[in-house]
Amino acid sequence: MLQGLRHWLVPILFCAGLLPSTVALANDTPDAMVRQASRQVLDTLKKDDGKNSRQIRAEVESIAVPKFDFKRMTALAVGRGWRDASPAQQEELQVQFRTLLVRTYTSTMFRFRNAQVNVASNPVISADGNEATVRSQVAMGDGKNVQVDYSLYKVATEWKVYNVSVEGASLVTVYRNNFNDIIRQSGVDGLIKSLKEKNDAFIAKS
Amino acid sequence: MAAALVLSLTACASVEQRHARDPLEPVNRVVFSFNQKADRYVMQPVAEGYKTVTPEPIRQGVSNVFDNMKDIVSFANHAVQLKPKEALNDFFRVAVNTVFGFGGLLDIASPMGLKSQKSGFGDTLAHYGWKNSHYVVLPLLGPSTVRDAIGTGVDFVSNPLDHHVQHDVPTRNTIVGVNVINQRAQLLGSEKLLEEAALDPYSLMRDTYLQIRDKKVGLQSQAEEEIPINELVNP
Repeated sequence: MLQGLRHWLVPILFCAGLLPSTVALANDTPDAMVRQASRQVLDTLKKDDGKNSRQIRAEVESIAVPKFDFKRMTALAVGRGWRDASPAQQEELQVQFRTLLVRTYTSTMFRFRNAQVNVASNPVISADGNEATVRSQVAMGDGKNVQVDYSLYKVATEWKVYNVSVEGASLVTVYRNNFNDIIRQSGVDGLIKSLKEKNDAFIAKS
Repeated sequence: MAAALVLSLTACASVEQRHARDPLEPVNRVVFSFNQKADRYVMQPVAEGYKTVTPEPIRQGVSNVFDNMKDIVSFANHAVQLKPKEALNDFFRVAVNTVFGFGGLLDIASPMGLKSQKSGFGDTLAHYGWKNSHYVVLPLLGPSTVRDAIGTGVDFVSNPLDHHVQHDVPTRNTIVGVNVINQRAQLLGSEKLLEEAALDPYSLMRDTYLQIRDKKVGLQSQAEEEIPINELVNP
């Protein structure tokens, strides 16, 4: 009982304490948003002591998920075939791909949790002011630097991330060839099924 | 040897061409799954053993010594590519780390602002025009391209450490072995990531590798081909 309570209470307290500053700061510029979100994520992951991993993962997800636009990410991953999917299929694809991306993102960040993230404060902003690329350097403990770039676009007043590239490899478009192979062989429903099976296998394990 | 292998593989390339960059896919998949098994049952356990018996400062020192050698190779390649700024950077990295870092055991150049930016013979080939190259999976060495496989071979024989001991086969093999195990040890803990992320680990690994290499050599990646994302999501 007590454990269950803690499981819910901590994220709620965490978010409550977080919200005022997030709203005030994060949405101003795309680089400020990325900088603050990565700091929050890494700080949270540092609290992982091996016993509370599940709860830490939930916290990280609650910080990160609102910063991404998963519909745009899924469309970008699928590419031109996105148009051939019905709205219901698009919705289902997005739900499954999001689960996969969030899981991968959290694991990747966990590996980087002791790294130093330096977000460049001169984002490249498109002519119409609605798209931006934010560059960052992740300094690993061993003196190696990893280049991580974020593509963002503006929805109303908020910046959302729709692509992340690590050393030039996009976490989203690396899936495109594979997704298109599956769509060619077994249609959009086949892709939804493959993603769902993958995700279910991990839910079963954890 | 790697180059010869690549050439013989190219000769028997399959007719089935699904991805323009990966005409050897059937062969590559076989090598990939062999590598996965070799890694799981040999490399990973050995790397774990190495990590257990070797304290972290020593492992870091070993990494630094090999890294220092790579800086020498990198210096030569940047020089051949006529990039004086990068070549000088490598030169001073080697000088500082060799003299003040006890023969390369310590990397004091990086904190001084002399960043590690390695170049190899594969980059030199790309610099002189060979940008687009077919994907190939090398036995034990993993993802590569025909160009980078040749580059890896040339980098290997041009490594000064190798030159010093090339007639002393046991010593040379020991050095190569330690280098490989040490590199593998640095990647411990990331094995699950591919499995976690991929529907098809082979194609995810391939496309990640190609995107990273293409970016480095300045080739417009085929995946980055203009997808009108705004049209896709807001029809």
